[in-house]
Amino acid sequence: MKVTFSLNGTEQTFDCQPHESLRAVLRREGYYSVRFGAETGEAGSAAVLCDGRLISAEVMLAAQAGGHEIETIEGLNPPRGLHPIQEAFVATGAIQSGYSTPATILAAKALIDRNPNPTEAEVRDALSGILDRETGYLRPVHAVLRAAAVLRGETVAPVEPALIDPLVELGGTPDMGAANSPLNLPPLSPRVVPSPEVPETNVVGKPERKVDAVKLAKGHAAFVDDIEMRGMLYAKMLYSPHAHARIVSIDDSAARALPGVHAVLHHENVARVRYASGGQSYPNPLPYDQVSFDNKVRHVGDRVAVVAAESLEIAEQAVKLIEVEYEVLPAVFDENEAISGDAPVIHDEPDMEGAHDAAHNIVQHIGAEVGNFIAGLDSADRVFEKTFRVHQVQQCPIEPHIAIAWLDSDERLVIRTSTQVPFHVRRMVAPLLGLPVRDIRIVKPRIGGGFGVKQEMLIEDIVGHLALATGRPVRLELNRAEEFVSSRTRHPQTITFTTGVMNDGTLVAQKMRTVANTGPYGTHALTVQMVSGLRGLSTYNCPNKKFDCDVAYTNTPVAGAYRGYGAPQALFALEAHMEDVATELGMDVLEFRRKNWTKVGDPLDVAAELGEGAADMKFIPVVTSSGMDECVVQGQRAVGWHRRYDPAWLQPADRPHIRRGLGFAMCMHGSAISGLDMGGASIKINDDGSFNLLIGATDLGTGADTILAQMAAEVLGVPTADVVVYAADTDMTPFDVGAYASSTTYVSGMAVKKAAEEVRQQIITRAALLLDVDVPGDIELREQAAFAPDGRSLTLEQIALHTLHQDDQHQIMATASYVAPDSPPPYAAQFAEVEVDVETGQVTVKNLVMAVDCGVPINPLTSAGQVEGGMVQALGYGHCEEMVLDENGRMVNARFGPYKIYRADEMPAVEAYLVQTMEKSGPFGAKAIAEIPKDGVAPAIRNAIFNATGAQIDNLPFTPQRVWAALQTR
Amino acid sequence: MAAIICRQIRKNRKGELVPPTILGFQLRTGEFAMQAITGYHRPSGLDEALALLNRDDVQSVVIGGGTLIGAGFVPASAEIVDIQAFADATIELRHERIRYGAMVRLQDLIDHSATPPLLAETARREGPNTLRNAATVGGTIAAAHFESELVAAFLVQDASVKISLPDHAVEVSLEELLGDSTLLERGIITSVSVAGGGETATARTGRTPADTSIVAALGRVVADGIRLGLTGVAAHPIVIDPAAVDSLEPPEDFRGSSAYRKELAKTLTARVIDLLGGAA
Repeated sequence: MKVTFSLNGTEQTFDCQPHESLRAVLRREGYYSVRFGAETGEAGSAAVLCDGRLISAEVMLAAQAGGHEIETIEGLNPPRGLHPIQEAFVATGAIQSGYSTPATILAAKALIDRNPNPTEAEVRDALSGILDRETGYLRPVHAVLRAAAVLRGETVAPVEPALIDPLVELGGTPDMGAANSPLNLPPLSPRVVPSPEVPETNVVGKPERKVDAVKLAKGHAAFVDDIEMRGMLYAKMLYSPHAHARIVSIDDSAARALPGVHAVLHHENVARVRYASGGQSYPNPLPYDQVSFDNKVRHVGDRVAVVAAESLEIAEQAVKLIEVEYEVLPAVFDENEAISGDAPVIHDEPDMEGAHDAAHNIVQHIGAEVGNFIAGLDSADRVFEKTFRVHQVQQCPIEPHIAIAWLDSDERLVIRTSTQVPFHVRRMVAPLLGLPVRDIRIVKPRIGGGFGVKQEMLIEDIVGHLALATGRPVRLELNRAEEFVSSRTRHPQTITFTTGVMNDGTLVAQKMRTVANTGPYGTHALTVQMVSGLRGLSTYNCPNKKFDCDVAYTNTPVAGAYRGYGAPQALFALEAHMEDVATELGMDVLEFRRKNWTKVGDPLDVAAELGEGAADMKFIPVVTSSGMDECVVQGQRAVGWHRRYDPAWLQPADRPHIRRGLGFAMCMHGSAISGLDMGGASIKINDDGSFNLLIGATDLGTGADTILAQMAAEVLGVPTADVVVYAADTDMTPFDVGAYASSTTYVSGMAVKKAAEEVRQQIITRAALLLDVDVPGDIELREQAAFAPDGRSLTLEQIALHTLHQDDQHQIMATASYVAPDSPPPYAAQFAEVEVDVETGQVTVKNLVMAVDCGVPINPLTSAGQVEGGMVQALGYGHCEEMVLDENGRMVNARFGPYKIYRADEMPAVEAYLVQTMEKSGPFGAKAIAEIPKDGVAPAIRNAIFNATGAQIDNLPFTPQRVWAALQTR
Repeated sequence: MAAIICRQIRKNRKGELVPPTILGFQLRTGEFAMQAITGYHRPSGLDEALALLNRDDVQSVVIGGGTLIGAGFVPASAEIVDIQAFADATIELRHERIRYGAMVRLQDLIDHSATPPLLAETARREGPNTLRNAATVGGTIAAAHFESELVAAFLVQDASVKISLPDHAVEVSLEELLGDSTLLERGIITSVSVAGGGETATARTGRTPADTSIVAALGRVVADGIRLGLTGVAAHPIVIDPAAVDSLEPPEDFRGSSAYRKELAKTLTARVIDLLGGAA
């Protein structure tokens, strides 16, 4: 059928099918800013304007649009430059991955067109239909308010950091008097508590605009799906409906006979090559318990077969024609039951490699001890023990997994994929496809969020197999339900802490017993749990520590990497336990922690036995920088901690069923995997004195490309805009392990700094020659020029033209790489304020404050955005998000609404403080910041509920029924 | 063979009520539900629409805003009958009742000065603005989601629903329609009217402030006491005598067991009554 509507002011007629969404038709016509998020319209990334109103093009049939006026961001874009709304989004740091930014900007336009002077509540309502897993909504909301002000003709101030006086003198004690005086700061200003140890810089430490901001704000073709390939085929997976079953037979004849079908692959026609899917350094940790297609399925949503066809509709039809006979087997979903000895064996195949005890579903056993735990426990005045359970959640990037593969003109396989680990994927996919690494190129364009779920070789082997089988480009995209059940999730864990403590509050013994649930495949099973042990047992000093962990195979959806990587689970249990112990001892909860937390100079002794790089660690690391004291008092002041002791505040007189509470959690993370993570960078000069920066580092939307460009610019004496970044293409850029383990700033940043310093040296040498300066070291690079000590100068353009064209020609360029010997921990203080309805169990989170010591934030704007967004994602983890399986292992809430992701119009207040320390091992003093915001929100809420009601809730999430049940048993 | 969009709650093989979240997932496991749409019609008038809806050999589905059908909540292979060309999208005050055309978008209901505060508040809670800008009054009534506060608010506001059938039109109370939806198998909702006036109050419990309520209680002061509506305690929102709340046997899902929902119903009902001055 045909449909006619006005598109960005021009009436046009399009072909469409009755079932096709408006999104599908717009994308087919090249409007790539309208992006898939969820078939149900709940993501909002496909929102467009229909007759001036924001609607979801996902749920609007194309046919319904007939006769209406449709607007996309392409209709808003000026030919060059930005619309004022787009400019406001760029200036405020409101863009991270940018995947949903066009929809958000359209939402702003619709609102401002109708109401030029909206309130914050009206803005939040206007953005309520667009879910954001990245920013925490704070910056987009205020970007809209700023844009409205600009469009009203008002002048707006630049977004600059708010510099806040430290409250703790170096080596002194917290000034609690000052801590009780709240600040009143502009919402968009990153709160920076400067350190006198940090030297002055020109570009580093400044709120620079993101280098990819324009294309993201304008919705340009930038993501995996934003290309057209002639002759492309569409892949569709057949997934298991059973939690555990053998495939007795598979008949694909009807599917193959369907016109338009080009390939049907399954275990009978794909080589059986063992692998581990986690995107990790060589050699990948055991076990190797997966193959591309197996003759057994081990969870609902496991791979059975795949079809490639001329259209997605044909592929879906063909999938239904594949006849599979299953022998359904008993299944097990609980990690403790799975390893009890009575559970069905999930991996009984003979060729599986590397599980600890497959017969008992134990994929990994991890043990570590420092000192003598039993002796320490015997010496303790008091002993406390408690068990906690953390649940299964999904990363929920708004862009799901998507990959497109094709053979180039040299018959090399190109895979354009939404991945955090392009170099690992190239190495890992090669043996599965029977290709040498040299014949594979992985390209990572912009990606719409990752959060760890894309630290995986998840679907690249499938599109690779299909491209090789058909000789045609093949595209595979997971739908939202598939992303929930067939990708990766956070490991559920049962955690028991046993702690020996002296009456004065000194820890003398601590044991962490963990049973983790990896689902049926052990990807990241070892390393996530090792990080859990590391975080659980290195945050506080204790002479006798023990970690005892079993990782269980079960028939739940597969667990893997998720931002925080084992730390959120461990720190929920640890910080709940520490709160309870302090309370039992009658100590102030902050003083008890302060007495025990690790400080500068303290050894992180368990790190030599636990953590991702522990096997290669040659020495016991020591804390070299910590702003923890400052973080705590800044957070106390911001959240109004003194109210915790005010009975009138705790129990408001006008609402008898409400109790209020404040909670705290300490957070400690890492900065990369020491001795293992490697980043590489190349820099070359161009004719005009600009530079190309080639990096293997993988920007997930975090702003990594921007901060790496800032570092290069700082060294080279140029503005960030003079550094053109190209990243994450295995043919074109140096190796980098990828975006995980909080490594990019610390490791890739140091590689960039080293390469820039080498380029700087080459420039200085040439400048010294041209300026006739005897000592090149006397030359200074600044303001896009090289200056002699007497003030004479040459522009970098003059130097570049001379070296490239005029005399003794050569390309000024350098490549450097870096492996960090250390992993200096960022520290943070997380505070939460809640209201609990004691009659219904409903918890309302009112305020979240996190003060983070990330060393020197390279870009305060993007750093603040990382913390704000991370806290909101962590809020979902603690408060409401959960994957719920029925008795057969089927997920019953595989949609954004029932799964429950926070919207813009229901957010608590969120505030981030950046407490500077000078970490001398990091580039320009930086440590990591990406993951620590995930660590403390759940325990802080738990402890706030405890403060409010006296109920200790030791399972996540804090849903009304769970809280209500706990309140019944007080 | 005709069908209006199906109620979003079903019984499973055990006879248990299955919430729509499960239904939605089942539609999407290994298949793309949108393919169930096999044809699209945009009739110019009601008679043409009814004729399309009542064809013997074709299953048809009426679409208003399309937020449910477009999202894949299609019972089986069906053709779409899009009523936007003729369906009433007006709001008018008539004889102390407010009448909403079936095609009135929820956001227009919210924005209209004649809309009772309870309807505006609950319409806002039906979903985010992207969906409120599309979803219609008629579609919301037809779907009658068991957790819909707006449907409960219509009940509390004493809503009556006008339905056109091939040979005649009927007007029934919403309460009656929810108890017996067979009228919708052959007919199309054309308008909904509600009583204005009467002090109202709400109380609800959800996981987050904008979450679909697990249970919500809505009350309105009427001549003989309080007209009470509840969501999340039956197959569809209900009006109930406050004294009968104790006899409820709610369905359960992962957000709330039957017993918990019942406790919420009692607690939230008491709050609504208290907010309205205790005149149950």
